Amino acid sequence: MPFKVIPEGDERKVEVVNTSAIDGAPIAYIVVLAAIVTALSFIPFSIILGSGGAMPLSQAVFPLMGWLLGPIAGATASGIGTLVASFLSPLTVGNPVLSLVGPTVGSFLAGTMVVGKKRRGWWLGLSIILLIPFFLYSHRAIGQNGIPTNIFIAGTLIEWSGFLLFILPTRILFTRWITSSNLQLVALGLFGGTWMISGLSHLCAATLSYSIIGWPLAIWNMLIPVIPFENLIRSTVGMVIGVGVIAGLRAIGLVKSREAIY
Amino acid sequence: MEIIAQLDKVSYLYPSSSDLVLKNISLEIRKGEFLGIIGPTGAGKTTLCLTLNGIVPQFYGGRFFGYATVAGLDTLSYPVSTFARYVGAVFEDPENQLLATSVENEIAFTLENLKVPREEIIARIPRVLAAVRLEGMEKKQPSELSGGQKQRLAIAAALAVQPALLILDEPTSQLDPVGSKEVFATIKELNRSLGITIVMVSHAAEEMAENADRIAILREGMIEKIGTPAEIYSQVEYLEQNALRPPQVAQTFALIARERISTGKIPVTLKEGLALLEPLKSYYRPSSLESTSYSSPTSPLISVKNLSHTYLSGTKALENVSLDIHSGEYLLIIGQNGAGKSTLVKHFLNLLSSTKGQVFIEGRPIENLSVSDLSRSIGYVAQNPDNQIFNITVEKEVSFALTNLGYPVKVVEERTSESLAAMGLLESRHLHPLSLSKGDRARVVIAAILAMEPKIIVFDEPTTGQDYQGAKAILEVTRQLHQMGKTIIVITHHLYLMPEYAQRVIIMGQGTILLDAPIRSAYHEIDLLSKTYLTPPQAVLISEDLAKLSGHRSDLLTPNEIASCFNYAIF
Amino acid sequence: MQSFNWQTVERDSFFTRLDFRTKLTIMIVITLIAFTWESPIAGGMLTFLVALSSLLVGVKVNYLATILKFMLPFQLILLIIMGFFNIEQVKHLTGKTELTTLLMIGNSKMSVEGTLYGLNIIFKTLTMVFIVPLVIFTTDLNKMIVSLTKARVPYKIVFIFSSTLRLFPLLAAESKGIIDAQRLRGLAIERMGWLKKARVYATIAVPLILNAMSKSQKLDLVLQSKAFSGDPNRTFLHESVLKFTDYLIMFCFVVLLLVVIVLYFWLGVGKFPWLIY
Repeated sequence: MPFKVIPEGDERKVEVVNTSAIDGAPIAYIVVLAAIVTALSFIPFSIILGSGGAMPLSQAVFPLMGWLLGPIAGATASGIGTLVASFLSPLTVGNPVLSLVGPTVGSFLAGTMVVGKKRRGWWLGLSIILLIPFFLYSHRAIGQNGIPTNIFIAGTLIEWSGFLLFILPTRILFTRWITSSNLQLVALGLFGGTWMISGLSHLCAATLSYSIIGWPLAIWNMLIPVIPFENLIRSTVGMVIGVGVIAGLRAIGLVKSREAIY
Repeated sequence: MEIIAQLDKVSYLYPSSSDLVLKNISLEIRKGEFLGIIGPTGAGKTTLCLTLNGIVPQFYGGRFFGYATVAGLDTLSYPVSTFARYVGAVFEDPENQLLATSVENEIAFTLENLKVPREEIIARIPRVLAAVRLEGMEKKQPSELSGGQKQRLAIAAALAVQPALLILDEPTSQLDPVGSKEVFATIKELNRSLGITIVMVSHAAEEMAENADRIAILREGMIEKIGTPAEIYSQVEYLEQNALRPPQVAQTFALIARERISTGKIPVTLKEGLALLEPLKSYYRPSSLESTSYSSPTSPLISVKNLSHTYLSGTKALENVSLDIHSGEYLLIIGQNGAGKSTLVKHFLNLLSSTKGQVFIEGRPIENLSVSDLSRSIGYVAQNPDNQIFNITVEKEVSFALTNLGYPVKVVEERTSESLAAMGLLESRHLHPLSLSKGDRARVVIAAILAMEPKIIVFDEPTTGQDYQGAKAILEVTRQLHQMGKTIIVITHHLYLMPEYAQRVIIMGQGTILLDAPIRSAYHEIDLLSKTYLTPPQAVLISEDLAKLSGHRSDLLTPNEIASCFNYAIF
Repeated sequence: MQSFNWQTVERDSFFTRLDFRTKLTIMIVITLIAFTWESPIAGGMLTFLVALSSLLVGVKVNYLATILKFMLPFQLILLIIMGFFNIEQVKHLTGKTELTTLLMIGNSKMSVEGTLYGLNIIFKTLTMVFIVPLVIFTTDLNKMIVSLTKARVPYKIVFIFSSTLRLFPLLAAESKGIIDAQRLRGLAIERMGWLKKARVYATIAVPLILNAMSKSQKLDLVLQSKAFSGDPNRTFLHESVLKFTDYLIMFCFVVLLLVVIVLYFWLGVGKFPWLIY
């Protein structure tokens, strides 16, 4: 390439230093996004009718963390951000270990939604692993607590719909949409992706909390319309935030993490 | 003299650049010297600094030509972590470079990474804290420190590795005058008393002229000139042609010299300049300058009556403040951090409720108006425009408020186009605001506010973090808006920039108004300004001295005004 | 600028002097025991013990009260729901065919057994929540970080944790500024319905995240210039040493957990009907 001024010095061999990273995502990115998760944990944007209490804004961005950083780094950012928030934010007060499950699983799963990369086979193993909480949850509810099967199915709409969307090619479709240059497709991908991922992370978190609380049939009936509605809010908000962030990151031209999907 | 660092025909190309960012730079940095680097935005100053600790090119990649050695080590032959031992670095944003949860942890961080033994770390902490005058603050959280203290902590952390070289990249651009003074004093002390070699990038011409041993001018990746401050800063015309600001004393004397009055050399420090005034007094004939006071027969646009505000913590932020602002004024509010400037302005916007007293906007008490209602009357441009950008195109950003306020679509379209045109953004309307330069992003925010057609626009620290060109560009926008009939309120520390714009000055201190006067008289309240730790521009101090020497009083504000009072033909 | 509200206790006690790894062991064991037990009596005793311990070591009453304030409304609803609607499960757990009526509202019966089961859940949850300040707030943050590294938690993770603590208050303050900026552009948030409010809050996250990501590149430079590599092989200013007392306590708590599990399965200690039915 022609330079306006010819360099007089000898050209040197440049070896790029590996900046400290987790799974290809610079530590600095993970730090700021973990801090974002913590900060957003202080902002309530809805009431969670199902679990009682306010839904912090951070819940809508767990999948986005996976899409921005990749599965491991995304889970790290969401997990640490949630952990810090569990100590400090009254909205997310609770046992830190239990509160980590949803965010880390969500971000991890979101980060595995790759197309044409070497981890595209991960979905198969994860799908099998996800059957375990399904089994535990259904066994406890139907087998031990006598919840009718049709009620269980209706009450776990977001879980099994999320699971189906994950194992079917819809997962790849959402990923392609998210990587599209058409922001409307990005929005659809983010909406569908957030619905899917939130459903799956809810599966894991609910399995754990159900084993502690074991809510009765009346609660199941009450939650049938509530939980999908909450997930709809999460997905909508996740879409709004995600579109703004992805459009902005593309405009800034920020160097992407190695495993980022956007 | 021993050479600490050397660049030999260094050229560099970033991976994403189309041309070299550094071009054939050869430079020797001597042990114990204070080397200042100045240059317009985009000249390559930061890249040059980062070459000295190996971050360029090892962090970015790209193509590198020539040799850079620091402490005898080739910056491409050793990892960046090696150079962390020899080169301390302090960056512009105090918040962004402090990562630890306490002062002592911050100082220890690099030492821990370099595997310095624990006992040695413990020994170094109090020493470096003493060097930067932060003794006894080991356990404090960085968030509890002021801006100046944070930068001093960053310096202490860099100092703890006992570096051969300390690089500071615009360390005072985000600080208030007190903070800036503290940092310069610290750096000067480190250089003079401890012999630390300093390489510093800064636009603070007055301070650099006082402290640096040499100044290098970088332009388009090349060192154009290098010399003592006296050699460099006296080349006023050259500096101005390259969008660099010389010290006001140099500007003043250069302008006087254009009147064919021999001043000898062009002084670059105030002390030198004042010493040269005596022989010139015979040429000095000040004309009486009209005060640009503004009085309006109409009722005030904003009226503040006995306003007090106490925060929940008990801090008295405002105490019995009364003030009237009339339509068409250009008002400057100055004062140290914590003086109450932002608190006062937030009351205008109804973002804060008063503890006592009242605020009226166009005769209406503000407590009857919501923030969103008030936005039609008062626009507010915050220091960081990026916090005021919410949309994905410039056009949507500008029309955002109008849509929120429920204007009809046609009106939204018309006003949006007008605003975009006024700010020169029509061609950028479909772009993402964040893809624009910092200056243009500020224009987007201004356009968005302008679209609401407010009568009053408040600019909160618009010049902080900007270089001279950038600051002037923003202030020219304020002039443009003022000429459109808007009432302008600017909060800033940069007193030297404001004489061409502001008419009236309010000096605040400890929550009260210390002075409310036309700019000409306000800037000459030297004692009052110094009580609030504000330094008047050098031109004002020169004017004061001239008044004493000549016996003719004239409250001059700028080098141009001073020079215009000198007449060769008099003698 | 606000500091984060990390409430390290003021009182120096035997518990505060324990290593963080010991306290983590205690937290894990207590959480597992709370998870295992279903008896409201056992659960209640455990909750009481943990709360009392927290207060004794210096955790502020206000803090525990704030937790209760946020949790109790939902817990009470849960109690009522369990009382009215948890029928089959408690029948199965107690072996009873008819439940004891506590309260009648219309045709709906609130059972003693269901209410007790609800109590069990409340105690379980409260124990798992109250153990956190007991462990976290009695530990100096610096020692916690060193301790975690010595417990083989990757240093990068520990570093991210401590940096998050440093950075998030800045972002929280920035989010307030963004909300104000939106109000100043005509958004009457206070007059909005919850759906519109949700949309507005969502748009706060966008500039917050983008600004943070822009700064992260500068942060990366700072880390480089401070020789940070995430290498756990480094020195530490602060120390965290396991003493004999720490080992002893960890051993005792592990043994306690084993005893609890054995007694649970062998003698039914801690099962729902224990000491009641």
